[in-house]
Amino acid sequence: MSQFLQVLLSGLATGAVYALVAIGFTLVWQAAQTVNFAQGEFVMLPAFFVLVGMNWLGLSFWISLLFGLAVSVLLLGLVFKKLVVEPILPHGGITLIIATMALGILLKESAKEFYGAEAQPFPALFPGDPINILGAAVSLRDLMNLAISLGVVMLLTLFLNRTRTGRCMQATAQNPGVAEILGVDVKRMVLYTFLINAALAALASFLITPVYLAKFSNGETLGLIAFIAAIVGGFNQIRGALVGGLLIGVLDNLTATYVTAQYRAALPLILLIAIILLRPQGIMGTSEGRTV
Amino acid sequence: MLELRDVHGGYGKITILNGVSFAIPKASITTVIGPNGAGKSTVFKAIFGLLAIQSGQILLEGQDVTRQTPRQMIARGVTYVPQGRNVVPQLSVYHNLELGGITAPDQGKVKARIEQVMDQFPMLREFKDRKAVELSGGQQKQLEVARALLLDPKLILIDEPSIGLSPNLVQEVFRTLTRLRDQGVSVLMVEQNAKAALAMSDYGLVLELGQTRLHDRADKLLADPRVGQLFLGGHVAAADAAEGV
Repeated sequence: MSQFLQVLLSGLATGAVYALVAIGFTLVWQAAQTVNFAQGEFVMLPAFFVLVGMNWLGLSFWISLLFGLAVSVLLLGLVFKKLVVEPILPHGGITLIIATMALGILLKESAKEFYGAEAQPFPALFPGDPINILGAAVSLRDLMNLAISLGVVMLLTLFLNRTRTGRCMQATAQNPGVAEILGVDVKRMVLYTFLINAALAALASFLITPVYLAKFSNGETLGLIAFIAAIVGGFNQIRGALVGGLLIGVLDNLTATYVTAQYRAALPLILLIAIILLRPQGIMGTSEGRTV
Repeated sequence: MLELRDVHGGYGKITILNGVSFAIPKASITTVIGPNGAGKSTVFKAIFGLLAIQSGQILLEGQDVTRQTPRQMIARGVTYVPQGRNVVPQLSVYHNLELGGITAPDQGKVKARIEQVMDQFPMLREFKDRKAVELSGGQQKQLEVARALLLDPKLILIDEPSIGLSPNLVQEVFRTLTRLRDQGVSVLMVEQNAKAALAMSDYGLVLELGQTRLHDRADKLLADPRVGQLFLGGHVAAADAAEGV
């Protein structure tokens, strides 16, 4: 029992971080009807921004985190939206999707070029010491990761539902034509979405890199898992992405512990196939009609 | 109130409006009729800043408003209710109404206005916490009309309000528009349901191939045999629409 709880909690902790990235997918999908295949690299890079702050600029770790967050929001939010999304989106969603794939490769190779191919140690935000919960030894880091991720998702949901700006963002996502005729600043709302996506990716980066170490190729797996999490949960729902992320995190841990660690990488893919066959709109998702 | 002078415009290289000119007076209802593809909805988009205008001029109360953005038009007291469903599906009825006043600088006043509008449309008060998508088609249309009233517009552009509504709901929407006219609001409406719409309008306007063909008092247009032939009994689907199909 205590082992199960341990496995469950650490699975939830990893899953919650996947969920942050998956929510980014759904937000960008809703705002721009596109899939950002550089999303994994958007999670890989912020850790390097922090390392640049610490090692090149001589900033303290906590200041470097703020620096990393700011640079991420600027580059992966604003600059990405202005330089990649805006000019390419009018040429079609598919074109933009391919462009984001290219961007992913560019970012990955650049990180390797500028910072090296070696995995870099990344300071832990919280100590990894285990604490005892009902007989299960759970690391403080896992608990904090879980708490922070869920807290941020809750804040985001509150922002979208309880503030006028949040509701304008929802209107833009659900019916951009109507948002425009009501005078909503649609462009600004889309920009906010991209900024939030970048911030979520940065947060995920800071939470997960102490475990994975900062490596240029981190985005490959992370991006894929988060993408699958978003599909499994329901691509057009924030709570779907949350459920998808948590589910993959937990299943991954359970399989590794109780079945075999050998096939853990295959698990999200099996889940993906099952969902697409049985419930293509995702666990929480709603099917979207498209007029062609 | 509103005047169009030889407006040409369209989408990309396709020109749809080939010189539309007309003027509508304050506190009046004008119905635009014409065959499919005549450019009726396009005129509204041109007025509201959603269409590339190639040449011509649009004046609102004597001021040039050609090529303004929707936000600017709203600020000048114009609102637009397009065809079809135009609610934000997952937001509540109340928050859909709130969006109707989103451009207002004083959001406190918007709250008070929402209460007034819900007094006018008691159904909306009853369902204010429901998601808009859960309303029936007719209720959604009422929500859209109510939302368009939130900023006390001077001019309402309303496109095909009768589509998908039962005949008594159509009458309800028409009654609302008449009441607004009596309060001093100008209404410009496109309507397939031409006979019924002209019957409650002050003026009628016939568009064909992106040009103004006829513009006269509504009762005169109703009596005009050319209009009768072309749009009321002829091959146009007006007869069907009159039945509320």
